[in-house]
Parts: sequence; structure tokens; C-alpha cells
Amino acid sequence: MSTRSHELHLLTGVYSLDALPDEERAEFERHLAKCPSCVDEVKGMREAVARLAMATAVVPPPQLRERVLADVPRTRQLPPAGGRLLTRTGKRARVRRWPLSRASLTAGVLAVVAAIAFLVVTQVSTTSQLHQSQAANRAIAAVLAAPDARIELASATVGGTVTAVVSTREREAVVTTAGVPSLPRAQVYQLWVMTAAGTAKSAGLLTFTSSGSAVPVLADDVLPGDQLGITVEPAGGTPQPTTTPIVIVPVSST
Amino acid sequence: MTSSEQPGPEPAEGEGPDTAELLSLVARGDQGAFEAVYDRLSGPVYGIVRKVLRDPSQSEEVAQEVLLEVWRAASRFDPARGSATAWVLTIAHRRAVDRVRSETAAVAREQKVAPDLDMGDDVAELAEAALDRRRVRRCLGALTTLQAQSVRLAYYGGYSYPQVAELLEVPLGTIKTRIRDGLIRLRDCLEVTW
Repeated sequence: MSTRSHELHLLTGVYSLDALPDEERAEFERHLAKCPSCVDEVKGMREAVARLAMATAVVPPPQLRERVLADVPRTRQLPPAGGRLLTRTGKRARVRRWPLSRASLTAGVLAVVAAIAFLVVTQVSTTSQLHQSQAANRAIAAVLAAPDARIELASATVGGTVTAVVSTREREAVVTTAGVPSLPRAQVYQLWVMTAAGTAKSAGLLTFTSSGSAVPVLADDVLPGDQLGITVEPAGGTPQPTTTPIVIVPVSST
Repeated sequence: MTSSEQPGPEPAEGEGPDTAELLSLVARGDQGAFEAVYDRLSGPVYGIVRKVLRDPSQSEEVAQEVLLEVWRAASRFDPARGSATAWVLTIAHRRAVDRVRSETAAVAREQKVAPDLDMGDDVAELAEAALDRRRVRRCLGALTTLQAQSVRLAYYGGYSYPQVAELLEVPLGTIKTRIRDGLIRLRDCLEVTW
């Protein structure tokens, strides 16, 4: 672990130059969430790198100005990152210092919308399932509505995005995915709550609707400093993770 | 590392004192403030995108996307996390690199020259950037050859570090450390105070 994180620390330079291949970039960004000294180092390097860019300044084509200024009035601006219901604060948000790419932002927003929409459209076949899913829906709604709820976004190594809405006050998280590849029948995605002490507790298997969208999973007993991880496991799940997580979402303190 | 150092206000040099303030006005929909940001940073945005992509029409397209992104995402800029200039130019460089990583752009780049600070004859360098150019040249010159080459290829060339390692015929691990050492020295040489 420490050897690996030492190696990751060496990547501050290549990261600051945008020279990490896409997968390694995602991995390094997860490392940044746990490495304040890396964050500091990247910050200083980014300022130096900005000077490298300043030195390339040239007179832009005049029509560029006209085009950009013509587009401005018809381009909707993003709201501030912190909303009333769902705010992005804490460690993870602090690490993501540069604007989210349009793609990942959209994925996150869609995932939350999907989680909310799921409350309305759950399909149930029996009365007991109805009661169960109503209870789950109430729990999910409680997390989404918690005043300290915030969104944590992470890219999975296999592709796709994982969104967690975390309320440390409720000690719960709602996790959903968008665009992760489907698995062969013999395998499942399993969600874990992993503590700083190194224990992992299963929070259940990810399921998908017939149309392929992820059903939100509620994880309980989630505390600041924990991590949410997803692994690929044999069908039915396992008591303990047996593979490397495809994604790790740190749960920061508020 | 000076990890205890608090992020200060905008660096006094190389950039006016208030690009960050302008961005906060932009975040509230102030188009006049956006024009001011445009006038301040469109030269470096177009410059770095052009440097990496080399193709003028593609560069113009990407620069347009970047500048609109500045308008769109201004509310996400947080002065505690770095200067406004670095925020904008990070968007610009990353967009250019993303474009390079798509195949079409790679083909267009093949025949062009190796990356250097000189832009070629068909574009006019911004006079205001003369000081930056001189300092960057001096500071790149103070690095070891391998450090300077790796930084140039990665940043101005838009290559990933495995590609840089291949081009320079150096092991991957060496490139990682040389780039990191090089940037630390550049940072100190360029007197970046963060």
C-alpha cells in the first residue's frame, strides 16, 4: 500500500502536464483525495505550467472573438457547485479542483435524477416486495433529502461513472452507476463499505432494470473516513471482496 | 514541499490582479466581465491549444469550446484552489490533449514538427507574452536535457508519459521522476509562490 502510494505520489508532475493516460488519470485523482501533500504539489505545479502556456500566447484569429461572444448569450451557465439540497463539499470536492468535464458532470446529474426517478417507477410484483421497496425508497429519499447530503462522483476503471449521495448525519449513502459495462451472468457488481481499519462490509449487489439502468443501492453504517468500493464478484456475491475495486469513493467528513 | 503555505491572492506578476474577480462576475452572468476575461486570456488559450494541436482550424474550434466553457463553468472556479489563469489554461490544455487523443487529430499531427516554444511564422506572438517567453526559455534552459525534453514533449507536444518514454527511449519510471523533478525546478525558477 505505502509503496504503491509512494509511486502514485511521483505522478504529480505528469498529472499536472495532463500526460497521464485516461485510466491512470482516474486512479491518480482517487489518490489525490487521500493525499493532501500531492494536492499541494499539484497546485504549485499547475501555476508553473500555466506560465508555460502564457509563453505560447499568440494573437487569436479575430473571428474567434466574434464567434465566442455570439455564443455567450445563448449558452446556459452552470449553477454554483453547492446547492441547497445536494452540496459538494469536503475532501472529494476539494480535490476535484478543475471543472468536471461535461461528460462526467452530466453522468452525475443523470445518476441522481435516475435515483429520484426510481422512487416513482419501481416495479413490484408482490405485497411484501412492495413493502420492502417502499421502505428502501423511504430510506433513499431520506438520504437524498438530508441537509448534509452531498454528491461524490468517481470514474470506474472499467468505464462509466459511480455517483454516491452521502449523508454522514444519516450515516447512509445512496450509490448508483451510469455507463458501467454489463457483466456475464456468472458475475455481479458488489458494493462495499470499507473502513479505515481495513474491514469491508457488503452493502449489497448492484442490480439493473431490464432497460439497463442501475437501481440505486442504499449503504448504511457509512462514516466519514470510510470508502465505498465496488468489486466484480461471482454471482450471488461474496462475504469479503476478492478482486480489486473498479472504483473507490472516499467518504469525506463534512 | 511548502504544504503549510496558505494559497495567497492572485500572483501579482504575469496577470492583472483581478482575473479571479472578473470570473466571479462572469459566474453571475456579466457578459462585459467575460469580454474582459476573453481579452486577457484568449491569446494564451489559443496559443497553447495551437501549440499542441498545430492545425489552425482545429485549434480555433477547440479554443472556442474552451472559452465558452470558461463562461459556462465560471461558478466552479474557486480562488482558494489556484489562480484564475491556471484554471483557464488547465481547461485549455486538457481539452487540446483530449482532442489529440482522438485518432483524427493524431493523423493530422503526424507530419508536423517536434514541439518547441517557437510558434512558426504564420502566427503573431503576443507582445505582452515576451516576458513570459524569456523566463520560460531561461528556466527550461536551467533543467537537465532530459527534464526539459520530457516536459516539452508532454506539455507542448501533448504526448502521454508512456509516449514520451518511447520517444526518448527512457524507462517509464525515469520519465515520471524526471518530469516531477523538472516541474519542481521550473516552479522554483519561475518563482511561483504557491
